[in-house]
Amino acid sequence: MPELSIRICVNGEWHELKVRPDERLVDSLRERLGLTGTKVGCGEGECGACTVNINGKAILSCLTLAVQAHGKQIVTIEGLRRGTELHPLQKTFADEGAVQCGFCTPGMIVAADAMLKKNPDPSEGEVRKTLSNNLCRCTGYDKPVKAILQAARILRGGNHE
Amino acid sequence: MNHGFKPTAYYRPGSLGEAVALLSNFGAKARLIAGGTDLLVEKPPGIESLIDVAGLNLSYLRKEEGSIHIGAATTVDLVETSPLLTGWPYQVLTEAAGSMATPTIRNMATIGGNICNGSPAADLSLALMVLDASVKLIGPKGQRTLPLKDFHGGVNRTARREDELLAEIQIPWSPGAGGASFLKLRRHQTAVDVAVVNVATRLNCVNGRCMDVKIALGSVAEKQILAQSAQNLLNERIVTSERIREAAECAAEEARPISDVRASANYRKRMVTVLVKRSLETSARRCRGCRN
Repeated sequence: MPELSIRICVNGEWHELKVRPDERLVDSLRERLGLTGTKVGCGEGECGACTVNINGKAILSCLTLAVQAHGKQIVTIEGLRRGTELHPLQKTFADEGAVQCGFCTPGMIVAADAMLKKNPDPSEGEVRKTLSNNLCRCTGYDKPVKAILQAARILRGGNHE
Repeated sequence: MNHGFKPTAYYRPGSLGEAVALLSNFGAKARLIAGGTDLLVEKPPGIESLIDVAGLNLSYLRKEEGSIHIGAATTVDLVETSPLLTGWPYQVLTEAAGSMATPTIRNMATIGGNICNGSPAADLSLALMVLDASVKLIGPKGQRTLPLKDFHGGVNRTARREDELLAEIQIPWSPGAGGASFLKLRRHQTAVDVAVVNVATRLNCVNGRCMDVKIALGSVAEKQILAQSAQNLLNERIVTSERIREAAECAAEEARPISDVRASANYRKRMVTVLVKRSLETSARRCRGCRN
């Protein structure tokens, strides 16, 4: 099968890749770049485990071809940390115990990150809407919602409570 | 990817002419790709070439020459949040856009894809029907424009020819021309699921008298339909709650639903009555010329 050359910027670093025309972005991220934080759940756009941010918007990397990402800025769960310091969303998910098996967590955090950049002070309802494309089969949504609201407070520089 | 979906070539044409030439060359062996949220789920077998519309500059919303023009590759989230669509009746399109799928899918899916997929449940398409929208198609012999209501051809079928590309959606601009409303019934109101029944209405009254009404029904026939007989019950008459009730019951008679995994035909018909009644009542409240 012919391969196509693409350039994508992942977590601040540009990569030149040769990809197949039918290759999904999630497969390039996981298998070519070793970024296995992004998960494949359903592969059909229902579960949100493959959520990454492209040019600041949350998208599903299982329904995006790698070639479609050519020239774009991609942020995965691995790109949120600053040095050894976890992102506030990662910290609050841990602190609130918002993780059980953890399979849905990267997608939730990445979707929440894109939302908070646009809307730093979301209501609980807005947070729940943001998570409507992220299925959790272990525990539910109350703790992730609390974690996101708490991270929003931290990012706004308000009370850490 | 699985099954027979193994495209071996990918093109990103830089002009509409180039895109149409590719479509003409490859015929049924090529598919256009925009957001990918239908194509990469459907994974149709036998497709050899993908033609990406990303390089065609078809992502825009603008108002000119008495119309709102929306590029076919405009993503649903941009439609949902467009400042051009903040007044009635145009806001009905943002209501429909905001109810489609999930925020993440709305960041990817395009308005043109919603129409070209040919689903009787397409949310944006239904709102566009009541706004008298037209679609502009570009083909090898030039362009043609046709009313959206004539574009739908049944489940996954449209009037788009294999070598044509949907470039733009056009909505006539007549500000203050009535109120409108979009309603959608799903099995779970937050789930990534298509409508059991969806309805859009627009009501334009002057001194309480209906000058123009549109009642569009989704998911209850092989294509989206305007309920003509129900519209006739309201047109050129004073709009009362009794007449709205009659129109809603009439609309249910015009629906031709099937029973499927989501709902029975009978239930769908009953829900058409409920949704059309509520939608018309909401449209009437949003219409400055209505008195009830």
